[in-house]
Amino acid sequence: MWDQFILNPFTNVLLFIYNIIGRNFGVAIILFTILIRAITWPLNAQQLKGAKVMQELQKDKEWLDIQKKYAKDREKLASEQMRIYKERGINPFASCLPTLIQFPIIIGLYQSITRALAATPLGLLQLAGSIYPTFLNAALLIPLNSKFLWMDLGRPEGIPFPAGFSLPFLPYGFPTLAIIVAATTYLQTKLTLPPSTGGANDQSAAMNSMMSIYMPLLLGYFALNFASGLAVYFVTSNVLGIVQYASMGRVNWRNLLPGGDKTLPAKTGSRK
Amino acid sequence: MKRLILISLVLLTAILLSACSAGTSATTWPGLAADSKLAYLANGTYIYAVRLSDGTKAWQYPDKAGTQLFYANPVLTTNGQVLVGSAGRDYELTSLDTATGQQKWAAPFVATDRWVAAPLVVGDTVYAANNDGTLYVLKLATGEKVWSLHISKELWGAPVTDGNLVFVTSLDHFLYAVDPVAQKVIWKVDLGGSAPDSPAISSDGKTLYIGSFAKKIFAVDIATGSVRWTAVTKDWVWGAPVLGGDSLFAADISGNIYSLGVPNGKNAWPSLQPDGPITGSPLVLADGSMVVATESGSLFAFNTSGVKMWDITPGGKIYTAPVDAGDSTAGLIMVAPMNTDFLLAAVSKDGKLIWKFTGK
Repeated sequence: MWDQFILNPFTNVLLFIYNIIGRNFGVAIILFTILIRAITWPLNAQQLKGAKVMQELQKDKEWLDIQKKYAKDREKLASEQMRIYKERGINPFASCLPTLIQFPIIIGLYQSITRALAATPLGLLQLAGSIYPTFLNAALLIPLNSKFLWMDLGRPEGIPFPAGFSLPFLPYGFPTLAIIVAATTYLQTKLTLPPSTGGANDQSAAMNSMMSIYMPLLLGYFALNFASGLAVYFVTSNVLGIVQYASMGRVNWRNLLPGGDKTLPAKTGSRK
Repeated sequence: MKRLILISLVLLTAILLSACSAGTSATTWPGLAADSKLAYLANGTYIYAVRLSDGTKAWQYPDKAGTQLFYANPVLTTNGQVLVGSAGRDYELTSLDTATGQQKWAAPFVATDRWVAAPLVVGDTVYAANNDGTLYVLKLATGEKVWSLHISKELWGAPVTDGNLVFVTSLDHFLYAVDPVAQKVIWKVDLGGSAPDSPAISSDGKTLYIGSFAKKIFAVDIATGSVRWTAVTKDWVWGAPVLGGDSLFAADISGNIYSLGVPNGKNAWPSLQPDGPITGSPLVLADGSMVVATESGSLFAFNTSGVKMWDITPGGKIYTAPVDAGDSTAGLIMVAPMNTDFLLAAVSKDGKLIWKFTGK
């Protein structure tokens, strides 16, 4: 089911792009990521819009009042919150539903890149079974040209150390791409974090701060250990994410400044 | 509490993404060989020697899983070595003692990629084709590199020789003939598609037979590198064709089986398509019968006329060619499935399951 509706179509489109652009798999990954981002743009926009509405609601006086007033009566608090949602025409799921819909698409994109790289016998056999014979001549396409810039996209990236020097925790050499992945992930996370509303109990600020540390480390780790084709996808996706947020006026450049992600006066963080 | 939830979510994402990547890179592709007493199974991070008599483990290498990952068929030498290359990130080619499993040497040179192909041993020399597109030539006694020749892209098929030339296939669509004296390629043939397995050599040493992803099987003149005939198949040919009498047996990944006449490449059998894709080479037994293993986990035996003699389904998914083990009359057929609760099964030559080996 997953293969038929997500993975196989994605793999075929990725290989189609690879074929028409002169068989450069790195460029194919970048173009394919742009294509998927463009298709999911409306969902992203809807998610951002929903998140903004919810964020503004958190600062609303009436909202804050009912939080205080019914702090010990959860049932009443929930019904009051629902009343406010209804009165103002807010859908509390407007920001998370598009994310849920996008999730399988992102996973499919990731898996199709892995499948197309087909670095093992079993991977090659699975790829053979994924390609639509009437759409692509797989026999002519395989093996894919996995060389892109200085990388072999089917293997973890690393610039070899000078002869005689090695580090056991960096078996593939100096991890340039992993550093770029971590840096762009950090930038994206920082730039797209909503401004803090202040207050001693601003837990969302704490969570955001943790996200900006954990996510770069996590994706950097993946880039260090897995095929560099995936790292190219991570970097492309991060850059596109920043561009998309910027185009919607949702980038918080202040977050890059020291202390910029700390408490901001209300309504100064967002440009929109 | 929220901090805990966040950390849990990050960990969950990590596990999810790891699982995604593992889908293609961490799965094995068993390699198999046998002598008269032991079967040698390369599976995942271990090499197992299994007693043919009762299916018990004689030894395993290494004791604890490391960075090695084995796809290639182990190769047995006449001086008691078993050679196997690693598809893990160590890129190591290792020689083990067949009796004990102790390491004799690990090639003290650095191949730059994984070993998917089994090596070829000729006298005191090892010819080993690497995924980096290079043919490495080593001393059998020590594993030291004698010379190497960069040929092309991924070399997945074990090299074969007619005694003079060494023949290597590549995923780059070509079959190469290497002159080991001149240390260069003397001819190459375009196969129209990737060739992930080895060619077969005729008994007179004049012709090579090789299938490819171009849905064709080629007969190639060894002296000149010219194509004598081609036979069209219904799908990609993955496993090496095998000669048996005047026939050339082959199969494709849609599960079609072919018995081609050696002189002209005409299919002598009716359409045969047992029950699933076939990637391993057919096994030709001493009585002329032929056995194939399918992805559906089955073995099918056919007589010389293409009539089914028996079938059995040990289970799992079988991608590796079955291997004839033990003496030719009372011996066993070994099969190494994946995705099941055992690693190796022994089947009698009349199609009865004798034992299963689970790795313990």
